[in-house]
Amino acid sequence: MRKRRGSAERLADEELMPLIGKKDVAAFEVFYDRHGAIAYSLAYRIVGERTAAEDVTQEAFVSIWRSGGRYDRSRGSVRSWTLGIVRNRAVDSLRGKSASAPKLAFDADALLEQRESGDRTDRDALRRETADEVREALDQLPGEQSKVIQLAYFGGFSQSEIATMLSLPLGTVKGRMRLGLEKIRTEMVRLA
Amino acid sequence: MSERDHEHWREELPAYLLGALEPGQAAELERHLAGCEDCRVDLAWLRPAARLLPESVECLEAPRQLRTRIMAEVRVEAEGSRAGRSGRRSFGDFWRWIGDRSPVSLGPAIGFAAIVLISAGIAAYATRDGDGGSAPTTVVAGKAPKVTAKMVREGDSGTLRLANVSGLKADEVLQAWVRRGERIESAEASLFVPDCHGAAIAVIEDMQGVNAVMVTAEPRGGSDSPTSDPLVSVPVRQ
Repeated sequence: MRKRRGSAERLADEELMPLIGKKDVAAFEVFYDRHGAIAYSLAYRIVGERTAAEDVTQEAFVSIWRSGGRYDRSRGSVRSWTLGIVRNRAVDSLRGKSASAPKLAFDADALLEQRESGDRTDRDALRRETADEVREALDQLPGEQSKVIQLAYFGGFSQSEIATMLSLPLGTVKGRMRLGLEKIRTEMVRLA
Repeated sequence: MSERDHEHWREELPAYLLGALEPGQAAELERHLAGCEDCRVDLAWLRPAARLLPESVECLEAPRQLRTRIMAEVRVEAEGSRAGRSGRRSFGDFWRWIGDRSPVSLGPAIGFAAIVLISAGIAAYATRDGDGGSAPTTVVAGKAPKVTAKMVREGDSGTLRLANVSGLKADEVLQAWVRRGERIESAEASLFVPDCHGAAIAVIEDMQGVNAVMVTAEPRGGSDSPTSDPLVSVPVRQ
C-alpha cells in the first residue's frame, strides 16, 4: 500500500483519475490528500456548519470514487471539477434544508454574514497565495457586483431569486454578474 | 439563430458559470453554445474567473476523522469490487478452509447480539490480495455466529476484515484499537463503518509490537479510549 501510494504521489491529478476509475485506493488517498482541505473549506463556506460540511465533503468524494473514471479533461482541471461537485452538493444540502422556508424572507447581507461566521473553532487558516489574490480581486469589486456573485456561487440562489431578494430588475443582476466576472478575469490577466 | 437569440443567451453566460440559471435553462444554453462560436469564446474568457471563486475561501484543515471515514468507505467498496471481479477463492471457501484446519474458539456474547469476543486461531493461508500487491504473510482469523473477522498481515501493516456486523446504531462507528503489552490505543485512521452487507475493513498501519487488534462500537467521531466491550478481539502473534 505504501509503495503504491508513493507511486501515486508522483502522478498528476489527471493521471490519478483513470487509476481511481480502476478502484485504486492508494490513488484515491493521494487525490483526497491534495483536495480534501479545500473541498471541506468550500463546503463549510456554503453550508456554514461543520457537521453538514463534513457530510457534503464525504458524499462528494465517495461519488467521485464511484465515478472517477468519468472525469473528462475537457471540463477543466481535476481540482475545478472536484470543487464543482462539492459546490453543487453543498447547495443541494442547503436547498434541502430550506425547502419549506420562504427564500424571500432571507436578507442577502445577513445571509452572507451568517455563512461567513459560524463555528470558528476549527478554522486553522492555511492561506495560500492564490486564495489571497482571488479574495483581493473579489474585495476590489464594487459591493453590488460581489454580492450577486457570492449569492449565486456560495449561496446557491438563481439569478431570479437574487433579483427578487435584492429588489432589482433581473437584467441588473445579470449585468452585475458579468461586470464582476469581467473584473476578476482582467485582474487575473494583470497578475499573471 | 437571430441576433436577439444570441444576445439573450450571451447575457446568460455569467449565470451559467455561477450555477445560477433556472432549472432547464442550462441545457438550452448548452444547445445554443454548440452552434455559437462567439458565445463559446466569451464563455472561455469568463470561465477562469468563475473557477477561481472556490479558491477564494479561507482554507480550513479538514477534520482527521473525515478522512478516516471517507477512506474506510472507499476501502470497503474497493474490497467489494475486487471480490466481484475476482475468480479467486471466495470468503466462503476461505472459512471452510479455516474450519477444516484451524482451532477457533468462540467467546461469550456480551450485550447485544453482535458483540462477540473472538479468541482467534492463527493460520497461515496462501493467497494473494489480488491487486498486484505483495502476498500476505500471515492470516489471523476468527469467526462467530454473528461477526466474523479476518486479520491479514502484510509487512508492518495489517488489514482487519469483518463480516456480518449488525446492530450498529446510526450515530455509531466502528473503532479499531491495538494492544501493545498492557497498553490499548486507538489505531491510526481507526474509524470505519460496515457497508450495507455488514462488511467492514480497517487498515492497521503499524503492527509493530501489537498483541491484539480490537474493534468496538463508539459514538460518531470516535473515542479516546474504548467505551464499550469489543465486538471482536483478534490476538496477533508477532
